[in-house]
Formats: sequence, structure tokens, C-alpha cells
Amino acid sequence: MPPNTTTSRRAAIGLALTLAGLSQARAAAPIRALGLENQYADVIRQIGGRYVTVGAVESNPNVDPHEFEVSPKVARQIARAALVVENGLGYDNWADKIIAAVPNPQRRVIDVQHLLGLPDSTPNPHLWYAPATMPKVAQAIAAALTGIDPAHAATFHANAQRFIAALAPWNAAIAAFKARYPATPVAVTEPVADALLQALGMRIETPFTLQAAIMNGTDPSPQDVATQNALFTGHKVKLFVYNQQVTDPLTTAFLDLARRNHIPVVGVYETMPTPGYTYQSWMLAEVQAMQRAVSGRAMVTK
Amino acid sequence: MIGAAFFSNGPVQVALIIGGGAALVSAVVGVFTVLRGQSFAGHALADISSAGGSAALLFGIRPLAGFLAMAALGAGGMEAIGARQIRERDLVTGIVLGAGLGVTALLLYLDMTTTSASGAANTVMFGSMFAIAPSTIPLALGVGALALAMTAALYRPLLLIAIDPDLAAIRGIDPRLIGLAHLLVLAIAVALSAMTIGAILSTALLIGPAAAALRLATRPGTAILIAAAIGLCATWGGIALAYDSFYWTPGHGWPVSVFVVMIVLAAYLAAGPLGTALARRRMAGS
Repeated sequence: MPPNTTTSRRAAIGLALTLAGLSQARAAAPIRALGLENQYADVIRQIGGRYVTVGAVESNPNVDPHEFEVSPKVARQIARAALVVENGLGYDNWADKIIAAVPNPQRRVIDVQHLLGLPDSTPNPHLWYAPATMPKVAQAIAAALTGIDPAHAATFHANAQRFIAALAPWNAAIAAFKARYPATPVAVTEPVADALLQALGMRIETPFTLQAAIMNGTDPSPQDVATQNALFTGHKVKLFVYNQQVTDPLTTAFLDLARRNHIPVVGVYETMPTPGYTYQSWMLAEVQAMQRAVSGRAMVTK
Repeated sequence: MIGAAFFSNGPVQVALIIGGGAALVSAVVGVFTVLRGQSFAGHALADISSAGGSAALLFGIRPLAGFLAMAALGAGGMEAIGARQIRERDLVTGIVLGAGLGVTALLLYLDMTTTSASGAANTVMFGSMFAIAPSTIPLALGVGALALAMTAALYRPLLLIAIDPDLAAIRGIDPRLIGLAHLLVLAIAVALSAMTIGAILSTALLIGPAAAALRLATRPGTAILIAAAIGLCATWGGIALAYDSFYWTPGHGWPVSVFVVMIVLAAYLAAGPLGTALARRRMAGS
């Protein structure tokens, strides 16, 4: 969960309020859009093309997005944006306060959680790892951009279709993996890629309470740690998937134990690694890394 | 629920060994700390050591080494600034404490923004006994043994300074030298317990068992033994309860630290009436 930074947020909201007036004046220029996580920003970029300028808030691969803190710069970006894509599920709910503080009837906000119709109690907030998510997000982005700039509606919808088509190699890789390595047992550090692992037909053997403890930075229970250790020492898993953006002494210990027991390891990212990746090439690269690891052609992939 | 599974559980074994060592050292050192009226200094050293713990996460070194280095530095700093008067000593301690925690705030920010160490604040401030690397055991036990050996060597001069500073001066004991040595032992004790129950809570293990023991015992030696027993019971009992809490919370388990400090508090509260009763019996007996 993002830590409380009431004072800095208050300052940020204050600054955002003063800048709200400025944003009203601009209309003819490219549409200002913002993806709160850079994978959403990437999809906006692919659909909006040259008619949008896109910013991303969370894109530092070293930082756990759950620990994000708002800066005045971010508040200004949100205040000026005509389109904001947020993940929801408490992952980036700091943004809701700024969005509410800077009302703008022109601004369109896509909340991916609500778009997918997920309840607040959904335990795993990493929605972009589910193969079904981004096609829906792409269509919602095309619709929102059309609402802002109806003249280029055809371009936006064509780009959305092209983006969805570009996901085909990824979906094909998922289907091939699932067929070739059915029900592969896997250990993880936290739930970041769980939706993808499930799509790959894998069996996630790590207790969810341990995944949640690592994700939220709370004390793990010794029972769960022992269960996880036994997965490695007993060779009960064929793959260990860990989040490179969330590491601590405990995840490092798991990593060492997995390597000592010759369990293939794949590091995944929470936000899209930059530069050089699009959402679809990033997802495909991760599936390919898992495929190589499980097939024994690469012991360790970073 | 406590049975063979409890004792064969890897994280539990590490917690029992390192937590037990930390509790033992803290309890013994704590008796002198309470006698000398340096509880606040002990708390301050623990808080200052959190800067070392968070720096260790930043630079990828052993957390215990970080806690130790910073606590020793804080002890040296407090002694170097020096203050004879109790009031002035509290001021100096408070100033050093504030500066140390300020550095911690910066280091924790850097931990969470430049490395991928999320949960750093929780681990450093409130401890993560079940996430300690087993490879820390030799260092922790070695340092703990050193602290106990130093305390044994300092036993007489420390007691004399604590109880009768004038007599100590006549005997030719250098209070600053002994004071610095005691602060260093104190630094080791708080570093050990900071790594187990967290920097902020380590005061509980340092002061609690000692204060409870001093309500019960009339001799320093007895007080040390009682304090050690209370400290060990609190830590091992806390570990057992935290382990057990896995079964009555929906699979999450509560932090060990909360159980440890609650047992310490209960021991302190129980020691009051018990101490009064013991004193009355001694009076009647004599």
C-alpha cells in the first residue's frame, strides 16, 4: 500500500488546484494523456499516435510502485491531462484524491478495475498481467480519445485493432506453453505475474498469504516461509518467478535457495522495462523467458 | 499447535536462537542501564541504530553489521559530547537521537526509491524475526558473547559507579572510561534486539525485564538472573504465540514483536505486587 504522505499530498493538491485553470485554455494542441503506470501509457501511445502526448508516472524499474509517493510534478501532470488511465484496486488510489481535487469536466478517467468490473476485494491488483485486460483497455482508450477528438475517430479505432492484433504472438506463445508444459508447478515471491502464470496453466504453489506479506512489506509467517523453502529443497516446483522490483532479505534468501537447488529462475518486472519494450514485446519476452527456463535451455534468466 | 512442527521450522529455529541471544544480552545489560538511570540513552541508541539498519539495506550489507556500527557510533557521539548532569545528559541524548532518526528517514526514503527494498521501514523499525538469514547466527552469537564478557569484566566498577560514584572515584575508577565501555555494550545489546524486534521496540527488551527484575530482587546478581529469565520467556513465548497466531488469524500471522512487548509489559506489571509481597515476607523474616 502507498504510504501516507498527507502533507506532501496536500501541497501537491494545492499546486494542482492553481494549475487547473491553466489546463482549460489548451485544446487544439495534441491531447495530453497520462498513464499512471508506464504499461498503460505505452498502450495510449500506440492508440493515440501523433495526436496525443503521453506521460507516465510510475516507470522506474528499481522502485516498487506500491511505495510510490506523489510529487508536485505528478499533480501538475494529472491536472493538465485530458485522459488518465489508472489501474485501481488501491494500487494507485493516491491519484483519485488529486483527480477529485482538480475537477475538469473535459477530463476522461479510465479506471481499469471498473472497466473489468472487478470488486474492491480482488486480492491481486496486477491487472495488466492478465491477457484479457489490455484489449478492453485499448478499446476504452480509443473510445475516450474519440470523445476528446472526434475528427480522428477512425485512426484511434484502427490503432486499437492493430494493437489487439499485435498481441497475437503473445497469446500464441501462451497457448503453446500451456499445451507443451501443462500444470507446471511454480513458486513466486509476490502475485505480480500470477495472472499470466495462471493463463500459462501453471500451478502456483506459494501460499497467497506469503505473496501478500512480501507485496505489502509485512512480516511473513514462519509456516509460509517453511512451505516455500520446502518447494525448493524438495524440488516440488519447476520454476521460480520473482519480482525484480520488490526484493528484500527474504526474497534474496529464496533466490539463493532456488539456485542452490537448481530450480530455474525468471525475474519479472512490475512496470514495463524501458527503453526498448512495448507492452506486447515485454509480455512476449517474459513468456519466452519462462519457456526457455522450463525447457532447460536457460537455467537463469534475469 | 506447538509441537514438532514448531521446532523443526527453519525460520522459527533462527528466531529462537538469535532472539534468545538478543534477549539474554539485553536483559543483562539492561540491569546496569536501569541502575545507572540510562534508559533514555538505551532507547536513543536503539533508534539511532535504525539508521545503520536502513543503510545496510541500501548498500546490501548484513543488517546486524549496520545496526551495530550505527549504535556504536551513536554511543561514541553521546560520550564525546559528554554531559555530567542528568538533565543535560537527557538533552544531549535527545539531540543525537533526533539527528539519528532524521538520517534514518532519508535512508529509508532512498531504500524504497533507489533500491527495490519495499517494506524497509517495517523491517527496520518493528523487526522481522522470521525473515532473518540463518547465516547471521554466528555473528549475532559472537557479538552477544562479547557483550556478556565485557559486562562480566565491567561488573564491579559499573555497579560501584551506579550505586556510589564518590566511592568509585576514591577507588580510582575512571567514570568516563567505564561509561564509554558500558555505552558500547549497550550499543551491542540494542543492535541485537533492533534486528529481532525492531529498532523502536528494542527498548522493551532492554528496560522491561531489568525493571521487572529490580522490583523483585535485592541483589544485582539475582536481578540479572531474573531479568535474563524474563527476557528469554518473553522472546521465546512471543515467537511461539506469533507462530500460533497463524492458525487463528486467516493464515496471516501477527508480528512477533507485539507478543514479545506484551509479555514484557505483563511481567513488569506482575512484578509490582509480587515485589511488594516478597519485601513484606523479608521484613517479617528478619
